[in-house]
Amino acid sequence: MTVSEFAKQAGYTVFSEGEDRAIGSGYCGDFLSNIISRATDDCAWLTVMNNVNVAAVATLIDCACIILCEGVAPDEAFAARAKQLGLWVLGAKENVFEAAKKVAELCGV
Amino acid sequence: MDECIRLEYDVDGQNFASAGHASESVKRMLKQMGVPAQTVRRVAIAMYEGEINMVIHAHGGKAVAEIYPDHIDITLADHGPGIADISLAMQAGYSTATENIRSLGFGAGMGLPNMKKYSDDMQIDSTVGVGTTVKLRVDFEE
Repeated sequence: MTVSEFAKQAGYTVFSEGEDRAIGSGYCGDFLSNIISRATDDCAWLTVMNNVNVAAVATLIDCACIILCEGVAPDEAFAARAKQLGLWVLGAKENVFEAAKKVAELCGV
Repeated sequence: MDECIRLEYDVDGQNFASAGHASESVKRMLKQMGVPAQTVRRVAIAMYEGEINMVIHAHGGKAVAEIYPDHIDITLADHGPGIADISLAMQAGYSTATENIRSLGFGAGMGLPNMKKYSDDMQIDSTVGVGTTVKLRVDFEE
């Protein structure tokens, strides 16, 4: 399932859009060094971090999308950078666990 | 000596928002040159961790990337406080980052271990009170 299809079916907020790629896996985490070391390049990255460094790390790992959980929204610098870099940033009201379950169910990963 | 493409970057120690620009730039260049994606990722991760370390611990510094046909050399030099115990700093999970830094998602104690993991060679030269220079080499052949 592509990111746009997932966002629609999950009912998540779309903060910014990018290349519409398939979600092939997921990774949950907030420590950026763990994420760049362990997340795969087709993943949906679920986090509650909302600063501009998230955009830099998402670019490094080439993730399919970032899902900000628990109602978190990107701050101004993050939103601007995500737009500039063409990153998918989605927003979920659920916590990370519930959002990860939704990724698993809808994307079959 | 082979011809190389040399890229130099000033890493702003006061600005977390710009951290990652040097590694992003090198990543773009390597992609354009047709370096395999997994190798590009290794270079970008190792260099990003170095950039972040300079911002967190050393008030910035200079990053130099020298791209050869078969490998890349990256030099990250700062005039920060230096590393008193390099073997301790190399231990996964060890960090001297403050709570404020951790709240930004850094300080997991994985910076230097990640740099070692994703490079083919890593040399650290550090003197307390003078600064730190980290040299990384990543080979393009898998």
